[in-house]
Amino acid sequence: MRAREEFVQRLSIKRARKLGSLSKEAFAELELAVRNDPISFVDDVEEEAFGIVASALAHYEESLHDDDLLDDDQYVEARAQRLGLIGNACEQALDLDPHCADASLLRLLAADYAPDELAGLLLELGEILEGEFGPLERGATGDAWADVFVRPRLRVKAALARTCLDTARFAMTRQACEELLSLAPIDALGARLTYALTLARLEDEDGFEWLDAREGRKGNAWFHLSRALLMYKLGRMPAARRALKGYDRLCEGGAYILLQPVYVDTYMPDRPEFEPGTFMEAMLAAHEAEPIVADTPDFVGWASEQPGFFDSAVAYCRRNGLEWRDPEVGM
Amino acid sequence: MAFDPQREDYQRLGLRYARHIDATNPADATRAFATFGRRFARERDSLPQSDGDRAFHLVAMASKLIDYELPFVSDEEAENLIVRGHQLLDEALSLDGRCYDALRMKAAADNPSFEAFYTYLTDCAEEVRRICEERRASALATEPSDERKQLAADIAMRPFLRWLATLAEQALICGRNREALRHARAALEVDLRDGADVRFTAALAYAKLEDEQGLDELLSGALAKRCTRPSNDAWAQIARVAMAHKRYDLRAASEQLGELMRLYPHAPETLIRQIELPDGVFARLAVRPYSEDELVLAVSEATVLLQEGREPEGRGVLGVWVQREAARALTPAVLQTLVAQAQMASRDADASGGTSTPKESGDSQ
Repeated sequence: MRAREEFVQRLSIKRARKLGSLSKEAFAELELAVRNDPISFVDDVEEEAFGIVASALAHYEESLHDDDLLDDDQYVEARAQRLGLIGNACEQALDLDPHCADASLLRLLAADYAPDELAGLLLELGEILEGEFGPLERGATGDAWADVFVRPRLRVKAALARTCLDTARFAMTRQACEELLSLAPIDALGARLTYALTLARLEDEDGFEWLDAREGRKGNAWFHLSRALLMYKLGRMPAARRALKGYDRLCEGGAYILLQPVYVDTYMPDRPEFEPGTFMEAMLAAHEAEPIVADTPDFVGWASEQPGFFDSAVAYCRRNGLEWRDPEVGM
Repeated sequence: MAFDPQREDYQRLGLRYARHIDATNPADATRAFATFGRRFARERDSLPQSDGDRAFHLVAMASKLIDYELPFVSDEEAENLIVRGHQLLDEALSLDGRCYDALRMKAAADNPSFEAFYTYLTDCAEEVRRICEERRASALATEPSDERKQLAADIAMRPFLRWLATLAEQALICGRNREALRHARAALEVDLRDGADVRFTAALAYAKLEDEQGLDELLSGALAKRCTRPSNDAWAQIARVAMAHKRYDLRAASEQLGELMRLYPHAPETLIRQIELPDGVFARLAVRPYSEDELVLAVSEATVLLQEGREPEGRGVLGVWVQREAARALTPAVLQTLVAQAQMASRDADASGGTSTPKESGDSQ
């Protein structure tokens, strides 16, 4: 989440509304001024609350950089501490504005609930927000994301979609993703990625083909992995092999991360940004796919037996000085 | 009722014997038939039988050892039982190379992965169908009465039904739910009354696909009307619980679970333990409907539903919810005993190096 950027936009829009009709140039000037000193443009408790959340998130993201140097115990402690800080900031923000959706969302995520409990709490949060602000709508531009004040609610829905996937509620995931794609077709939050995995898990080939076509069949780690899983599940092995090859060839480190899954921390509050085609992309896709991969128990074993796949994983591991955790392989 | 190998063995020899005494005069036949039961039990070899019948008898013996005795013996004894079971299957195959039950049971042990076993079953399915259909045609042509025609035809097709039921079950375990349904449908085409109880597997597959309509049709459509048992078996109930839980309709999930607990004795204990058993290699174990054992089997097969999803302790989202709900139905004292047993079991598992199932290994959270 680009919290600071959204904070600047929110403040600029609110100030511009106060000032009356501004030219494009004048708005750009205003935005620049806000960017330099956002706090001095805060005129209401909503923005004060949002500012607290944005600043807490900035601290949170900075604190992630030191993780590599920590051992496991230190990591657990550091993580608890930074989640605690986010939680406190959210409480503070909610005291000012009880309807601050981002604060509500982050408070739930920072509390580290079991996914099943989180699913219930996110559903409840969605209902509270709908009761307060009415149903989500596309808005004048045809994409709800264009309204920076609606984005927090879209993030709540995207988090719900991912949590439903994590708790094996795939029809609910599908529904949340469909709503997100309909409300915000540009899909800045990447609901299509969660959707692709869900359609693979539900073995919905028509749905998956529709979604892939909607994306212009450009493909990415989620889509390649989803297709391989889908074809494997449908028992269409030549197609599954082709899809797996595509995943290996087109996703940087894809083979490696499927065979050597890594821990990925809770998204705060949404999927971290990544450059398309990077290892980060494959890592996030493989992480999100974990429950579905685990539900297809022989998939990983089958994948590693396909010609070239295991070698590709090992080669990537060596090239990048990464760790191979299976002692039997004897790297 | 699932397939009972001992009963089927008896039926096969009974049919053979009936054919044998067709040739004798009615008075002798009556006397001969009166002695059949005793001869079956004590002097089996004195009864007429084909190599196929002898092979099936060995299969029934192997099934008794592997499916019905193995779970209750010590590790050392287990080794012997398995060796003995395989000898019986080899012997069966030396008598009848097309004893598909023996081939399937051997393949279950010989193929190291679900995937390899599944591929084997898929590759041979058409051959098994063809041969079983030939045997059925021959039975229909040679048996004199409708009753005997029917029984002989049923028996001829059973190896294929078991093949399909195993395919459906394996597909479900492999995460191939549409394939599971396809195999279940194929079995139902062969046997409208579902003697193999493939609808139990199908109910779990529909729940996995979160296909409300498909599950409704299965549990209250034409098939349900043909079956003698109402659709409130443990598999159907667990599928209903899972569907409601997946909709986040926890009240409905609780009600369905409550119904399951009313139908089965000692259900809370079974639902808390959630023991995962090896599948019967001959067929799903033949147990009494609505018995505690039946619930144990259903819960074990429902592992695919219970253990899915991210859950901090790796037990599965629905599994943990079901355990919690079931615990509410128990008195504190009973619950405490169960918890102590579970802890002991998990300590034993840790001490022996742990036995992680393939389902757990992929999930790092």
